Amino acid sequence: MSSDVRFTDFKSDKQPTWCPGCGDFGTMNGMMKALAETGNDPDNTFVVAGIGCSGKIGTYMHSYALHGVHGRALPVGTGVKMARPDIEVMVAGGDGDGYSIGAGHFVHAVRRNVDMTYCVMDNRIYGLTKGQASPTSRSDFETSTTPEGPKQPPVNPLALALASGASFIAQSFASDALRHQEIVQKAVEHDGFGFVNVFSPCVTFNDVDTYDYFRDNLVDLEDEGHDPTDYEAAKEVILDSDKEYQGIMYQDENSVPYHEQHGVTEDMSEIPDGAPDDAMDLVREFY
Amino acid sequence: MGGESVEVSEAFSFTGEKVLHNMAEDLNWAVGGEAGDGIDSTGKIFAQALSRAGRHVFTSKDFASRIRGGYTAYKIRTSVDRVQSVVDRLDILVALTQRTIDENLDELHADSAIIYDGERSWEAEIPEEMNAVDVPLKSLAEDAGGAIMRNIVALGAACEITGFNVEYLDEALEKRFGGKGSKIVENNKAAARAGQEYVQEHYDLDHLGYDLETTDNDYVLLNGNEAIGMGALAAGCRFYAGYPITPATSIMEYLTGRIEEYGGHVVQAEDELSAINMALGGARAGARSMTATSGAGIDLMTETFGLIATSETPLVITDVQRSGPSTGMPTKQEQGDLNMALYGGHGEVPRFVVAPTSIDECFWKTIEAFNLAEKYQTPVFLISDLAMSVTEQTFAPETFDMDAVEIDRGKLVDDDSVDEWLDEQGRFRAHAVTDDGVSPRAIPGTIDGAHMSTGLEHDELGRRTEDQDERVQQVDKRSRKVETAKEDENWEYREFGDEDADNLILSWGSNEGALAEALDYLEDDGIDVRVISVPYIFPRPDLTDEIEAADDVIVVECNATGQFADLIEHDVLTRVKRINKYTGVRFKADELAEQITEKLSEEVPAQ
Ligand SMILES: Cc1ncc(C[n+]2csc(CCOP(=O)(O)OP(=O)(O)O)c2C)c(N)n1
Ligand code: SF4
Ligand SMILES: [Mg+2]
Repeated sequence: MSSDVRFTDFKSDKQPTWCPGCGDFGTMNGMMKALAETGNDPDNTFVVAGIGCSGKIGTYMHSYALHGVHGRALPVGTGVKMARPDIEVMVAGGDGDGYSIGAGHFVHAVRRNVDMTYCVMDNRIYGLTKGQASPTSRSDFETSTTPEGPKQPPVNPLALALASGASFIAQSFASDALRHQEIVQKAVEHDGFGFVNVFSPCVTFNDVDTYDYFRDNLVDLEDEGHDPTDYEAAKEVILDSDKEYQGIMYQDENSVPYHEQHGVTEDMSEIPDGAPDDAMDLVREFY
Repeated sequence: MGGESVEVSEAFSFTGEKVLHNMAEDLNWAVGGEAGDGIDSTGKIFAQALSRAGRHVFTSKDFASRIRGGYTAYKIRTSVDRVQSVVDRLDILVALTQRTIDENLDELHADSAIIYDGERSWEAEIPEEMNAVDVPLKSLAEDAGGAIMRNIVALGAACEITGFNVEYLDEALEKRFGGKGSKIVENNKAAARAGQEYVQEHYDLDHLGYDLETTDNDYVLLNGNEAIGMGALAAGCRFYAGYPITPATSIMEYLTGRIEEYGGHVVQAEDELSAINMALGGARAGARSMTATSGAGIDLMTETFGLIATSETPLVITDVQRSGPSTGMPTKQEQGDLNMALYGGHGEVPRFVVAPTSIDECFWKTIEAFNLAEKYQTPVFLISDLAMSVTEQTFAPETFDMDAVEIDRGKLVDDDSVDEWLDEQGRFRAHAVTDDGVSPRAIPGTIDGAHMSTGLEHDELGRRTEDQDERVQQVDKRSRKVETAKEDENWEYREFGDEDADNLILSWGSNEGALAEALDYLEDDGIDVRVISVPYIFPRPDLTDEIEAADDVIVVECNATGQFADLIEHDVLTRVKRINKYTGVRFKADELAEQITEKLSEEVPAQ
C-alpha cells in the first residue's frame, strides 16, 4: 500500500452515464475517499457491484472489480475475502439488488460477519428498469407496476440487519458528502461486516424521496448524542419509523470477524507446482 | 484429438477367467435393515476387512432418503481380481428385517446363506432351499458388552460362514472405534468372535464351499466423492463453497477438516445461488475454487454459468447427478443432466464438460478440470453420478500417484509480466483478444493489474460495450479458447474389448465398470464387442471412424431419452441403438450383457 494514494486513483477514465444529479455520484465519491483515507489502493481493493444503475459503480471506479449477477454481489465479495484476507473488499448495489432479489444473501452475509463493507445505494426505486417499486418504496408510491402504490410496508433494512445479528449498522446521505464519507470510512475500518444504507436519490423516477425530502427530514445521530455501542439505544432508533436518521446506529465493539472465528488467514491464491508434499497421506487415509 | 485408443490400465485387462461364475473367488455379500440401523458402518467395516486381506472390493448401497424407517442395504462384491460392477447375485445376506430378505429374493439363490436373529420379534420367512443361519445377535452382543454391537456379531458369523479369518476384522474395528477407546474396540472384537464361534458350534456349513483367498496387496478403499475431494486437494483447490444436497454433500464433508491443513476453507452457503457466486469470488481472488451440487442445486447455479464464462473466471462446478426431474428420486442413480451441463444457461456459454468414468478417474479428472479451468479461464463442469458417489472400490495406492500430479495455472501474470499486457494508458487488458483466445490473468494484489470483469459484453479492458465489432471480437475470442483446447488437449476415449469387433458399445460416465465386466459374459456366449467409454462430453472425441467401422452401435446410459445417444447421432449423422435405464438403479454387468445381446439381434433403426 502506498501512502500517497489519492481518491481520484480509484476513479476510472470511464465517464459515468448516471443522470445528472443522480445520488450515485455522491455515494461513489464518498466510497472512493473512504478507501483512499483508509490506506487502500486500487491494486489491493476488490469492488463487487450489483446490477442496477447503482451497479455501474464497478465501471466508474478503478480497482479489481466484478460486476456480476443481479442480487449476488454479497456472495462474490464473501468468496473474494475468504480466499484473500489481505484484500480490501467493498460491495455496492441497489436496494432492489440487496433487499429484494438478494435479500436472502443479505441476512446471511450479516450473520457471517465477513470483514468487508457493503454500501446499499438506496433510492427507493428500481432505477435501471425505469421506475418500478423497490422493497424500500413507500406503500403508497405510485409506479408503472404499482399504480396505487405497493400497498405493503417498506422493508426496514437496518432492522433486518439488526435481527440478523449485525456488528455494524449505519445510514448516510449521498449529498452530505463529509458525513457520508466519514460513515463509510468507519464501516471500512470496522472489524467485520460494515453495512451502510446510503440514501442515494434517483432524480428521474422518484419524486418523493428526493434530495429536498432528505435534507428536510434527516436527523444526524451525532447531534442526538447517540451511543452506537448501546444496543438498546440502537434498537430504538432503528425501529423508529417516524424519522430518517443518518449516522452509525450500532457498532459491536467486540465484533470478531469471520476470518478470525474460522482461522482463515492465508492467501489462498498461492499453491505448489504439484500436489502438496504430504499428499500421499491423503491416499493412505483410505487404507 | 480423440479417435486414438488409449493404453488401457489393468482395469480392462481380463484374465479370461470367468470369475463371476466361480463362487469360490467371487463373493456377493450384503447387510440390510432399517435406515438408522448402522447398516452403512457395518458394511464398511466388512469391506475394509476384505481390503486389508488383500481382496478387491466393490460396494453399492440401496437406501431411502429417510434417516430412519426405510429399507437400506450395503452390498459388497469381493474377489482377488479387480471387481468393478454389481451383479444380480447375493451369496451371504445379513438380514436385520424381513424386508431385507424380501427386497433381495431375486438375487438370492439356493446356496445363499441368510444370517438373522431368531430371537427377535419378527419371524423370518426364508425360502426353504436356502441356508438359514439363526444367530442370537442381540444376546451375544449383550454378553460382549452391549446390544449395539449386534451387527458386529453378524460380521463374525459371516466370517465363519465364508471361511474368512475373523482377525481381518480387527484392524477395521480399530479404525472405526479407535477414537472411542480401547475398551470399545476390545468389546467389538469379542462380539465378532462370539458370532464366529456361535456359527462354528451350531452349524455344519463347511464354509459353504468358500475359501476366501487373501493376498499381500495393500489396497485403499474409497468412493467417487472422496476421489473428487482428494483430487481437488491434490490440484491445489483451496476454496470450496457449497450447500448440502444428496449425493454431493460428501465432497464438502470430505474437504471440511482437510482443506484447512493446506490453508484453505470450506464455507456452507445459504443456497446454491450463493455457493456458486462465493466460489466465483474465490476464483476471482486467485484461489483454485470449486462448488459441487446435484439435482435442484444445479438449476439454481445455472444463473451464474454465463457470468463465469464472460468474466472468464476459472471455476470447477461438480454435478453429482441424481434422479430427477424436480426432487425426483434423490437417493437414486441417473445420468440425466448431460443436456443441462452442455446447454444450461441463457445465451451461448463456452465451457468444458468432463465426466469421469470410474472412481479413480474421479480423482484424475478433477485435477484435469482445475487445469483446464485455469488454462482457459472458463467454467468446467465435472459430471459424476450417484452410483459413483456412494460406491467404494479398492485400488492400489499408486493409482493415486501424487508425484504424477501436474499443475498448470495458465496465463497468470505477476508484477513484472503484467507490463506486457498494459495498453498505452497503462490499463490492464484482462480480456485481450489473442490468437489462442486466452487472455492474461491478473489476480488482486498484482500491481497495475486492477481491472473489472463483468457479465455485460465488454471491451478488452472489461468495460461495457455494445459496439458490434468489439462484441464479435469478444464472442469469437471466448469461442476460440474452446477451439484451442480442442487442438491442444487430449480428449481421448477409453477403450476395451475387441478392437476389431463389428459390435460397438458407447458409454459415458460411470457405466464403464459394468460394461467392462459385461464383456466377460458376452465373450462366454461368443459375442465380440468393442467398448468405447467417453469421459469428455464437450469437447468430445470424434467417433466418426469408429462408428462407421461398426455394424451395430449401441449407446448405453442411465436416462430415459438417450441424451448422449442424441449427441452421437448428431455428430455422426447416423442412427444408433440405445440401452437406457431409468429405474434409479445402476446397470449391473450381467443385466447389461443380456440387454446387449438382445439389442444386437434387433434391426438397425432406419436413418
Ligand atoms: C435475474 C434478473 N432479473 C431482473 C433483472 C432486471 N433488473 C436489472 S436492475 C433491476 C433492479 C434495479 O433496482 P436496484 O437494485 O434498486 O438498482 P438501481 O437501478 O435503483 O440502482 C432489475 C429488476 C436482472 N438484471 N436480472
Ligand atoms: S435513473 Fe435514477 S438511479 Fe438511475 S441514473 Fe438516473 S437518477 Fe440515477
Ligand atoms: Mg434502487
